[in-house]
Amino acid sequence: MDGSPSTPPAFHPAFHRASHRAWPPGAAVPYWVYSDPDVYAAEIERIWYGPHWLYVGLEAEIPAVGDYKTTTLGERPVIMTRSDADTVNVVENRCAHRGVKFCQARFGNAPELLCPYHQWMYDLTGALKAVPFRRGVRRQGGMPADFDMAAHGLNALRTTVQNGVVWATFHPDTPPFREYLGERFWAHYCRVYSGRPLEVIGYNRQHIPGNWKLMQENIKDPYHAGLLHVFFVTFGLFRADQKSAVEMDEHGRHGILISRKGEQVANDVTAGMANFKADFTLHDPRILDVVQEFPGEETVGMITVFPSVILQQQVNSLTTRQIIPKGPGGFDFVWTHFGYADDTPEMRLRRTRQANLFGPSGYVSMDDGEVIEMSQQGFGHSPDQAALVEMGGRDVGNTDHMVTETAIRGMYRYWRQVMGV
Amino acid sequence: MIPGREAIRDFYDTYYAALDDGDLAAWPGLFTSECIYRVIPRENFEAGRTLSTMQAESRGMLMDRVAGLTSTQVYAPRYYRRFPGPLRLSIHEHGVACRHNLLMVQTLQDRQSDIVLVADCRDILVLDEGCVRLRERIVIFDSEMVPNSLIFPA
Repeated sequence: MDGSPSTPPAFHPAFHRASHRAWPPGAAVPYWVYSDPDVYAAEIERIWYGPHWLYVGLEAEIPAVGDYKTTTLGERPVIMTRSDADTVNVVENRCAHRGVKFCQARFGNAPELLCPYHQWMYDLTGALKAVPFRRGVRRQGGMPADFDMAAHGLNALRTTVQNGVVWATFHPDTPPFREYLGERFWAHYCRVYSGRPLEVIGYNRQHIPGNWKLMQENIKDPYHAGLLHVFFVTFGLFRADQKSAVEMDEHGRHGILISRKGEQVANDVTAGMANFKADFTLHDPRILDVVQEFPGEETVGMITVFPSVILQQQVNSLTTRQIIPKGPGGFDFVWTHFGYADDTPEMRLRRTRQANLFGPSGYVSMDDGEVIEMSQQGFGHSPDQAALVEMGGRDVGNTDHMVTETAIRGMYRYWRQVMGV
Repeated sequence: MIPGREAIRDFYDTYYAALDDGDLAAWPGLFTSECIYRVIPRENFEAGRTLSTMQAESRGMLMDRVAGLTSTQVYAPRYYRRFPGPLRLSIHEHGVACRHNLLMVQTLQDRQSDIVLVADCRDILVLDEGCVRLRERIVIFDSEMVPNSLIFPA
């Protein structure tokens, strides 16, 4: 071995990755979008820190002045605080001095934010209020005379509260929230988030070892819901023969699956399902004791707000499902189960019961987490191959049925614009 | 009549052996017909909430959970093995309260074993039709970030 080669060898990781970054023809998604570390890094910058509103939490999680909650947006830790009755702030959980993630509790209440390392203190809006020994000790040391307290606050994000949900963005050019959703999706959003006060009823957290986009795709894909989720289909909660719709915003980035509950009947649709259980009955059917609580006949409204959250209404089970990307091969998935502050005890119990369908042990959601892991296992090492998304055609448009992958195509149309691919 | 210490130890040997052996069909019968079963994140429990990762309010719901696992749900094959800690028994108004730690380890094919659950079990045991049975079992888990799925019961 004598000296360095003049060109990188073919096995150099960057060389290997870049050589595969072509977009295939037709309706297909190349597998490098799910595994390439350079693509993931660009997504964090352009999508998560780009002109998009990110889900932070529910206002009901911090009802009192001084309440705070910590979470992660993209890869950055943040704190959501209530500084007065009408003001919610989102600031980065990174001390302006040495970068410490100083707030370690998930929830709490404090009059100010204090970093334990050198006790720099911030108010609940993130403004720097105190630097110990700023003027030195006995005329020794101290910060330079021109040190500007106002220039060293916590990074405060643009924040908006929309009918009880807190959103924040890192980017100055993000349009107002309602415009970000679009009028059609604003109407969908207001069905559950009408301004009626919300109440958290509990959390579930799981780490899913698959690329974060697979979770968005999962909820944009009604084709799988009527096949993978035998429990849903068996009890008529979600079936391919129900009156349904798939809609997107004008960019294709947000999506909604709308459907209505049917019955447990066998017909030509279930005949096409390998696992349909026509004779399957529950010993205790209280989990299916659902009531119609929203206007219209729809019983399901699953909204994907790009890129960070799924807003679930499946009969009486209401959740926000927050996506926190953790590298190309995994994401944390945080379920906030909620109801309304004026729910009766019966309704609260009903929502708690129906939560058995969802989360890491859910009768249906377990299937999704497992299949996402299996997807990453299957294609993670085949960046030059591609997924087919041709169900329902090759174009992007709203449909009045479930036998389509149009919303996945819509998301990638937008993704390619943002990513410059 | 309340169950004695020896009967309770025998009961847990049976309970954990049934689950470790994958004998899910035997599991609901170890509870009274009206019962409470919860596997609940510690944060929910400590906030006074009942929302659980798995919940049943009757033996029938436990049977439904077994039916879901055996006939409708999709998951990668794996083994779970449960390691209960020492039992702390005390008299309860309905029978005997038993608190103990539980470590649950999962082994997926071709993977190293890992911890799927670290929990504090708070059980209430009664004599029912001459058998020791669980009237209530609350499994409060510290390991709130579940490694993807929590498939089988604790």
